[in-house]
Amino acid sequence: MDIRDALFDEIYRLGEKDKDLIFISDDLDAWGLRKFKRDFPRQFINIGVAEQNLIDVAAGLAASGKKVFVYGICSYVTARCLEQIRFSVCSMNLPVVIIGVGAGFSFSFDGPSHHGIHDIGLMRMLPEVTIFNPIDARSAQMSARLAHARKQPAYIRLDKGEFPDLRYTDSELREGFKKMGPLGDTTVISTGIMSQQIMKFRTKGVVDLFRLQPISPQFISQVLKKSKRIITVEENMFTGGIGSIVSELLTDHGLKIPLKRLAVKNRQFDRFGTREWLWSLSGLDMPTLQKKISRHA
Amino acid sequence: MNNLQLQKKARWVRLEVLEAIVKSGKSHIGGTYSATDLLVALYYGKLLRPGDRFILSKGHACTALYAIFLDLGKMSRKVYDSYGINGGLGGQLETYIPGVDFNTGSMGHAIGVASGMALASRMDRKKSRAITMIGDAELFEGSCWEAIIFAGQLELANLVVIVDRNRLSVTEAIEDDSIYRNFKKKIESFGWSYVNINGHDFRDIQKAFQTVKHTKQPTMIIADTVKGKGVSFMENNVQWHNALPSPEQIAIARKELSYGHT
Repeated sequence: MDIRDALFDEIYRLGEKDKDLIFISDDLDAWGLRKFKRDFPRQFINIGVAEQNLIDVAAGLAASGKKVFVYGICSYVTARCLEQIRFSVCSMNLPVVIIGVGAGFSFSFDGPSHHGIHDIGLMRMLPEVTIFNPIDARSAQMSARLAHARKQPAYIRLDKGEFPDLRYTDSELREGFKKMGPLGDTTVISTGIMSQQIMKFRTKGVVDLFRLQPISPQFISQVLKKSKRIITVEENMFTGGIGSIVSELLTDHGLKIPLKRLAVKNRQFDRFGTREWLWSLSGLDMPTLQKKISRHA
Repeated sequence: MNNLQLQKKARWVRLEVLEAIVKSGKSHIGGTYSATDLLVALYYGKLLRPGDRFILSKGHACTALYAIFLDLGKMSRKVYDSYGINGGLGGQLETYIPGVDFNTGSMGHAIGVASGMALASRMDRKKSRAITMIGDAELFEGSCWEAIIFAGQLELANLVVIVDRNRLSVTEAIEDDSIYRNFKKKIESFGWSYVNINGHDFRDIQKAFQTVKHTKQPTMIIADTVKGKGVSFMENNVQWHNALPSPEQIAIARKELSYGHT
């Protein structure tokens, strides 16, 4: 099942029961969304390409008792309207869930404007926002459920396509991470599609981070403190992503554990290509990743 | 309240604003005085009805609202006196203050947020309206225009935007430039009702809200006002956006504002 359909099916189920759930689209369609639109027209708005207004209207609805999901391309629905998120949603701590589709390079040939590689850093600056980065159907569904129940600002960073089930349990999803196989000397911490990539060649000592904010204390005690070496891997800028999160946590907790960060090269991109090719520009393609991880492990 | 009583109330609010400024040494007096009559009309002239939402987007005029809240018993004297003190009332509105519907300070949000509130009211089949007052320079924010398009398209008849058209921004005059030239045509073409009033004439302000009652579109009220209204030397003077009066000026202002009380 496409990860988007999994998410939208769950929102459909939530919206069926909760008539105060309103869905606003930034003129973006998705297969799984059509059912919602058809069956709950009173709960659906297409606002047009107007991200600032998207967030302000969502805030006005949320300040009137509605629980609002907004949906747009992740680079625009975070950066273009950052001020609206900061001020209208976060300063009021309102239940607005922002769904940004197009994590990392998933918009490949649509180019750098569409690439979602700054969104995690931007959203992390806002402490009110819970950040989810689901990468299989189960985690996508849970992100909608948790965000809806929490009644506070949330950001769901959404990928596209079908992904193998990472076999998360509900309690692991609530903690926001999953240990894949027993931890050895080297722990690879990754998020989003990079977890799926790494799982293709490494079956133990991998941790997927599903909730990037807030970080569970369990993650510190069960992952960071149990590791001798750490490698972080993400399809995101070095600044602000999970490499930043882990290095900050190591510093804050006085943990002297060597850390190697792998992420998207720190520069603005001007290239068009397939996702795999774009990865190769930053050494995040599978062969290079495999080499780098075995060298540092 | 009749118009004479409203005028008297407005003078009292202006005097309170002056005293708060003198005490705290913090001022946005010019734009507060241009908006004072409109605020008095909203709160004492029964224009704001129970259940209505109101966002004073030009939140730097908050001292007038503090005085009104004090007078109406919505705010205690203790809280009122905390203006300008660390941790007390500040130069913008926050929702922890009872009666404040939305935080203020960042401009260009209120039309969109009020649109969301108006829409929620319509979804819930309520009669309540969403009203916001913005400064005339605020329409330079592009997000206002995204919201104007949206509200016109959804025919949010329960949305009212009042523009405090005092023709002065922080640094310069905003005459009939590219925004305000042909403004009536412009705003009507977006599917809005347009009303132009004297923002210091209570009869005019009441009349504008009669239009709101009957229209099937959102309403934009352009209220022509005078920055610094009520104190002769402050009127229409760009310097009084946030200047502080000297002791001599304070004495003159007190006298002019007290006139109706004696």
